Amino acid sequence: MIYADRTAGIIVTGATGKQGAFHIALMNEYARSVGGTGVVAGVTPGKGGQEIHGVPVYNTVREALCSHDASVGVIFVPGSAAGDSVMEVSAAGIPLAVVITEHIPVHDTMKAVAFARLKGCDVIGPNCPGLLSPGEIKLGIMPAHLFSPGPVGVISRSGTLTYEIVDELTRAGLGQSSVIGIGGDPVIGQTFTDVLSRFGNDDATRAVVLIGEVGGSLEEEGAASTDLPIVAYIAGISAPPEKRMGHAGAIIEGGEGDARSKILRLKKRGVPVAGRPSEIPGLIRDLI
Amino acid sequence: MKLMEHEAKAVFAENGIPVPKGVVVRSLDDLAGALADLPGEFVLKAQVDVGGRGKAGGIRMADRATGVAIATELFAKDIRGCPVREILAEERLLITHEYYASISVDRSTKGALILFADEGGVDIEALARDRPGAVRRAALPPVISRIPSFMERDLVGAAPKEIGQVLQKLYQVFLRKDAMLAEINPLVTTASGVFAADAKLVIDDNALKRQGITLNRELSPREREAEKHGFSYVELDGSIGVIGNGAGLTMATLDLIGFYGGKAANFLDVGGGADQERVKYAVTLVAGVPGVKVIIVNLLGGITRCDDVARGIIEAGVVQPVIVRLAGTNEAEGRALLAAKGYRMLDSMEEAVDAAVEATR
Repeated sequence: MIYADRTAGIIVTGATGKQGAFHIALMNEYARSVGGTGVVAGVTPGKGGQEIHGVPVYNTVREALCSHDASVGVIFVPGSAAGDSVMEVSAAGIPLAVVITEHIPVHDTMKAVAFARLKGCDVIGPNCPGLLSPGEIKLGIMPAHLFSPGPVGVISRSGTLTYEIVDELTRAGLGQSSVIGIGGDPVIGQTFTDVLSRFGNDDATRAVVLIGEVGGSLEEEGAASTDLPIVAYIAGISAPPEKRMGHAGAIIEGGEGDARSKILRLKKRGVPVAGRPSEIPGLIRDLI
Repeated sequence: MKLMEHEAKAVFAENGIPVPKGVVVRSLDDLAGALADLPGEFVLKAQVDVGGRGKAGGIRMADRATGVAIATELFAKDIRGCPVREILAEERLLITHEYYASISVDRSTKGALILFADEGGVDIEALARDRPGAVRRAALPPVISRIPSFMERDLVGAAPKEIGQVLQKLYQVFLRKDAMLAEINPLVTTASGVFAADAKLVIDDNALKRQGITLNRELSPREREAEKHGFSYVELDGSIGVIGNGAGLTMATLDLIGFYGGKAANFLDVGGGADQERVKYAVTLVAGVPGVKVIIVNLLGGITRCDDVARGIIEAGVVQPVIVRLAGTNEAEGRALLAAKGYRMLDSMEEAVDAAVEATR
């Protein structure tokens, strides 16, 4: 697996919010089913002393770490304060922050990611569903029942489209090593390139599905950085230019980042590109 | 959100970047009243959010005698689909040299990307493609509060030192205003100094609130409705209405419609928490898009309750057929509710898209 295994203790920031509380319960349900550690503490400033689904809540990350061991922070804090939460998690020495929050100002993300890098903390997201390594650990909000363990790594800028493709893989008998949503924002912490290098060092992963979309060129940069067998799918071939397609980062700007040119560049590198999600399992099977 | 040229110039001026003297007029009376304060010869620039404005006739030279007549023509114009509501009347600059300067958010380096060229008024993408050496670039993490001097020297080269100072101020605008892009094209020198002859400023949509900026264009009634419910909504021109949850899945649904030979009328992402009310509003909204013959609802979620979604669809009670793909909890109940009212619920998104395209034939 990549980034974290079942022994990792998880701290959730924004723990007392509706989303935070709900997903603490689901992450712990998953941890119990695989014999993992799960969420050990929650953090919400001013709410220290409460309990959420049996998990103690603290005012600060440092305070939580006095009583618990944790190596992952999962962030549900609302947009305006989420950058701050990333910095708090990394300043406390936690090496991995998974940022679920959507609508974080880009300048906050750029600063928080730069700060986290100084502190040696990897940031996954923002605006992402997190990471799930079947049978091992769930960090974030992915619906676990669609997943099954196996040799296929999945990296995606999307949430529900990832579940769709994981469901296709599972139905086709192709289990997953780790599935990671890297986020739909223009600036994100871990990119395709970063995650592919992790998959390159992961014995459990034999091929990777790369799920991209319009905007930027991170997909092509990722494909150029690895020797792993990859199958790609790019959403947004019908997206008009200069319109934001749901994700802050899904926009064709200045004639750059459209799906056709992405697909062309990936194919030039020899990467098979699925025309629709249902073609992915067949293309993966050809590679492993 | 992209600011209008005059709005961007006001921000630049506040931050010490020299801009030409000018005035914004919204009517011919405005212009008649402003004529006395304008120099003898001036430029009239239509304030529209489209590229290639100059080529489309949106920028015109004028003087006191011709100003009102030319403004009349501009106000009557439709520039690449955009009506002209505001004109910036500005002093005419006697340009000695043009440069290009921009600072943008760069996805690859996760920071600021500064571009500078000794040629201005150019299509920077084309220039970078045709003569890569002509565009100098530097990446800077925005935790650095000022462009380092070495970097400024590398970027501006032999340009006058005032150009370097403008670049520094542009970086301050980028930082202070939550900019996605701050661009001066062209940045010009004249006998009397350095000026931002044009100005482009794109503010991060997620920072509009803290910047105290309100939307500078009018939303259509459907866009307003979508915004009220927190839907991501883009109108297209086909006949299949599309509702999905999640940007990627909704985009993939649109792409599949194209794959099967159909055309989508819209993109609507209901976002998280697709419950009865939200689904009802979404279906009603999409049914009102002109030309919609059939609607596809494609919702996939671990926690989406299919029976709630089914009730929302039924409650909306629109005239067009609604084809549904639902995966989540209580799938059987959702299917039964829909079947009782004659709606089709299909298992996969491809089957659903295929059926929707078929229904428009």
